[in-house]
Amino acid sequence: MAQDSKKFAGSVSRRQFLVASSAAGVAGLAGCSGQSNSETDAPATEETETEAPETTTSTPEETSESSAPQMLTAEGSSTVYPIANKGSSYWNSNAPPSDGEYWGTSDESTVPGWDELGAPDMRLADYFASLYGFEPTETQANPAFATSIGLSHSGTGCKSVRDGLVDIGNSSGPITAELGISEDERDANYVDHVLGRDGQPVVVSKDVHDAGVTELTGEEVRQIYQNEITNWSEVGGHDQEIYVVGRAEGSGTDTSFRLNMLGSADASMEGVDTRKGQNQQVATVVQQNDGAIAYMALAFTGPEVIPVGINFEGTLYAPDKSAEHTIFDSDYPLNRDLHQYTTITEDTPSGTDMREAAFMNMFLTTFGQKLFVEDNNYIPLPDKDLQSEKDKLPSQA
Amino acid sequence: MNVLPNSDGAGLRAAARRGLRRGRDFVDETPPDALVTVTVAAVSLLAAFAGFLAASSLTAVPFAVFLVATGYGWLRHQELTARVLTLTTTVSTILVLGLILVFIFAEAWPTVQYATVNVFGVPIPGLRLFIETRWSPVTPPIQYSLVPMIHGTVLVTIIATAVAAPLGVAAALFLSEIAPKTVREVVKPGVEILAGIPSIVYGFIGFTILSPWAADQFDIVGQGTYLFVGIVVGLMALPTVVSVAEDALNSIPESMKSGSLALGTTDWQTMTSITLPAAFSGVSAAVLLGVGRAIGETMAATVMLRGSPGLTKPLYNVFYGNDTLTSLIAANYGDADGLQLSALFVAGVILFVTVLFLSIGSQYIEARMRQKLGGAD
Repeated sequence: MAQDSKKFAGSVSRRQFLVASSAAGVAGLAGCSGQSNSETDAPATEETETEAPETTTSTPEETSESSAPQMLTAEGSSTVYPIANKGSSYWNSNAPPSDGEYWGTSDESTVPGWDELGAPDMRLADYFASLYGFEPTETQANPAFATSIGLSHSGTGCKSVRDGLVDIGNSSGPITAELGISEDERDANYVDHVLGRDGQPVVVSKDVHDAGVTELTGEEVRQIYQNEITNWSEVGGHDQEIYVVGRAEGSGTDTSFRLNMLGSADASMEGVDTRKGQNQQVATVVQQNDGAIAYMALAFTGPEVIPVGINFEGTLYAPDKSAEHTIFDSDYPLNRDLHQYTTITEDTPSGTDMREAAFMNMFLTTFGQKLFVEDNNYIPLPDKDLQSEKDKLPSQA
Repeated sequence: MNVLPNSDGAGLRAAARRGLRRGRDFVDETPPDALVTVTVAAVSLLAAFAGFLAASSLTAVPFAVFLVATGYGWLRHQELTARVLTLTTTVSTILVLGLILVFIFAEAWPTVQYATVNVFGVPIPGLRLFIETRWSPVTPPIQYSLVPMIHGTVLVTIIATAVAAPLGVAAALFLSEIAPKTVREVVKPGVEILAGIPSIVYGFIGFTILSPWAADQFDIVGQGTYLFVGIVVGLMALPTVVSVAEDALNSIPESMKSGSLALGTTDWQTMTSITLPAAFSGVSAAVLLGVGRAIGETMAATVMLRGSPGLTKPLYNVFYGNDTLTSLIAANYGDADGLQLSALFVAGVILFVTVLFLSIGSQYIEARMRQKLGGAD
């Protein structure tokens, strides 16, 4: 029911906008918000009112819609879906700054990155939309434009954005591979936005970290997992046998670790002492035992489960977001980018229109990275990538 | 699982006999409209079952017919309908359990076939499951040996029995023969309430407190030992053992004990030479029930063990705990596919067969003791 009424509200507001734009031209946005306010009080009477202009207006719907902020649509990969969908849910509810849990601050809690945003006195979607020139609606569940995220596959998402069926195509693989196109074709037609990464940092227990093991080479990790190194003293730590923790055999996490760290999807892992299925279990086991090493989602790391830097062929990927090379980078071998593709068209030569920019910009803040990326067990972008992603968006109003 | 052997053996035959007899009775004695009603009910239920198996969208139709026919029969010929209903429920219980059994075996077959070995030119399916010792579903050579898990289950069961049997029988003896009545009346229900604590509670305590402590104290690399899993599972089985054994000891007729005491024995002599031997079948049934729980215990074992199958070195080393048959299934069912999934069904089959033999064994002991002691129960 809640969803239905939300849809209803969305469609009504668009119709309202049509009324406003046909009557008052470009200044319609203000009218939209004003009428939406009264409409929430008396939806039944509004419904009859909205029917009238559609029958009286003689302009074809196509042309008048082009000036209205349409619903922003995205679809594709199930890996990108949790990030995009959580962001979309937050966006659509347009929480007030007094909420505290979803947006803004209250007596009980404050959303992460709130001060960094300058504690704006606006609703969530209103704030992010206003950065790109949309008028605030100041109403609950009624943002300047609604967003909708569909769930399918990476390939389907790329095809949908290519064919113009959706605004944004979500993909966990590069579009060049999904659509079989060249890099030149990609650059000519698409803009690649990366909002987060999927990956597994290597973690160690506190005693190991305290004893001085703050980085390992890729080769050392391989040897530990293949039983060639069995004591921390062999890699510069204290005299403690290594307690090697892996993931459930045959799971996606297990397979990608073997592939990216050990060389092949069926590489031997005879050094593993324990296998656990879930991130929580891995974190608890690492916390409870001395000399442990494991790999797991970043969200579960903490003061007793510490990510270590990995040195791959001379490049040190540090567990520090502002370092030159970080374990949050896309070329860190255990990571892969999660893409959102937009298309370059005649209307938007830059490839990213204002709605897309307003929505995506939300993910590129500390607020978005923490709530939508890290809380979904994905890897947030390091500072330098956040900056380069922001540079891909059109300039803010 | 304990229901299975009963309904498969004696229960099945009895049900069949009952069915036949009733069938003859219906035709001979019942008025035709009652006969028609129950026949319609039975046939439509059968049709609904067939429809359910075929995933037909019309399944609801015969089921509705069954409900109507039963409702009509209940109003007009209640006794007859009740008899038919009880028969159909018995038959459908057996049918459903039987189909589950067939399914488990069918799912297990691919791995059994994969593990075929030729011995002197004769292919023996599944032999490699038991002569290899390496479980390796991903790294070649792909092997699905169940030996490590059987080893783990055996160790855990032995330790659990060593904990539960002596403690349980001693506690039962105390409660039944030595303790004052008031103590028994308070302690017995208390012990039975303990049996109702969910196993994850024990497992959670084991995982967060016992396992890390043991790893520390015994200088083990990482946590997870068969020893502590066995102890926890033994403690879990203890209330069941106490409760069932106490019932068995309590059911020894007072006249037997009085007779013994009249001959001049002490209380202790009566206990050891009269009460315990007479209640032996019940007490051993209690222990076997506890063992059954130890073998089938999943949750506590899964959270406490390491989940990386392999034999411990040496074999009697109980300070490292890798995997049992149940924890293998519980830890891997989500990620397994293909042959690995089928191998998990093989583990299920082994568990089923083990519990089956345990159940048959306890019934055999009971029958033997009854024969020997002449109606002790």
